[in-house]
Amino acid sequence: MKSDIVSLVRDTLVEAGSTFREDKKEAYRRAISKEQNENARWVLETVLENAEAAEREHSPLCDDTGIPHLVLEVGPDRAVTGRMLDEIREGVKQGLRKLPGRPMGIMGDDSHRIDQSGGLDQDPAGVEPAPILIRRCEEDVLRLHILMFGGGPAIRAKTLRVFHKHNTQVVLDEIVNWAKEGVAQLGCSPCTLAVGVGRSHFEATSMMLQAQVDGRYDVQSEMEEEITRRVNEANIGPLGLGGSTSVIATFMKVGPQRASGVRIVCVRPTCCFEPRIATVDL
Amino acid sequence: MKQLITPISEEAISGLQVGDTVEISGYILCGRDAVLPKVIKMIEEGTAGDLGVDLKGQVIFHTAVSPAGVGPTSSNKLEIESSIAPLSAAGIKLHLGKGELHPETIEALDRYNSVYAVIPPVTALLGSKTTEKRVVAFPELGMEALHLIKVDKYPAIIGAAHGRSIYEK
Repeated sequence: MKSDIVSLVRDTLVEAGSTFREDKKEAYRRAISKEQNENARWVLETVLENAEAAEREHSPLCDDTGIPHLVLEVGPDRAVTGRMLDEIREGVKQGLRKLPGRPMGIMGDDSHRIDQSGGLDQDPAGVEPAPILIRRCEEDVLRLHILMFGGGPAIRAKTLRVFHKHNTQVVLDEIVNWAKEGVAQLGCSPCTLAVGVGRSHFEATSMMLQAQVDGRYDVQSEMEEEITRRVNEANIGPLGLGGSTSVIATFMKVGPQRASGVRIVCVRPTCCFEPRIATVDL
Repeated sequence: MKQLITPISEEAISGLQVGDTVEISGYILCGRDAVLPKVIKMIEEGTAGDLGVDLKGQVIFHTAVSPAGVGPTSSNKLEIESSIAPLSAAGIKLHLGKGELHPETIEALDRYNSVYAVIPPVTALLGSKTTEKRVVAFPELGMEALHLIKVDKYPAIIGAAHGRSIYEK
């Protein structure tokens, strides 16, 4: 176990909350050069300018700094200990203070946390991370991905069963319909659509999370390209102001499926800053 | 790019059209779901003078103010959108946020010669353009208290003015 896990996690969380990856910047540049709608182009340019300012200042891309979601990849001969998980948790706390994260942890018992009557924790570190997802990887590393999930996409995301009628197109049509509805309501677009398909709600949502880890703006599958194209044809545009850039890309992960007429599908229309992600080898 | 400096005059508002890009400078108010209904109640009870801020010609930015910065929340949330008409009647000239408003809100804006502007959620940029901030009222709401901030050239686009909306299809 490395003694510097806490500081590595801390700095990686700050990077996740303040940085566009290079393939994302390039995707924005491509969108700006293609977009014909003047208002839409202005929004895209402003969002990219914001990303450059955030990276320069190591400051939050968005004031909704998000809820930390962690994916830990474990190589063949690596081990994860409880102490290591404690250090990761401490690194998250320190990262939230350093970013700084928005203090939006809700205090109190179950009922107080639901109706928000327990008050806000003024410490940014009061925002608990979501349960960690652990998966196997081929490289002999312990690799941590930190993603910061904002509230807007959570409101517009949807996880539900789809009767596929033994036709992939039926599922794609449903994804496109959900995405059009969600993107139109989101406000902070252009989106990256994160899509998971699984056998249960848990698995579909997990696939959606992993899609954001594995997705690349410069590598798109046929299904991903189709979803992006069809949602963009709806002319929703950045911030809903019209134009052809409602969606920058789609990241889709299809898990194992069961012998059944049902697929569980999760669609999260992530905002113009998401996936807010950074990765570190511990 | 049109320049708007608070307090904003009736004439400046009359000259704005949907789709105009603007830059906003000066002192502006910030509030959202939690605090705006409380401000409306003060206006109804005739105690808005206790705020110590003249609402005439002012801007309301629909945002929290936290150490993470500022950024628009959806203006079509019930408590926020329902504040637009009474705040316009009280002198607010520009409501700053994001998202599509309902037709009755757009009519109300026109009635009081006020406008709605959409601001991209660009917290890092806005941080570099924000020079002062203080709590005006309801400090118990923390980041959702009514704040007054000083800004320099906040970028925005006019989303609703004179009965028209940028979201019209």
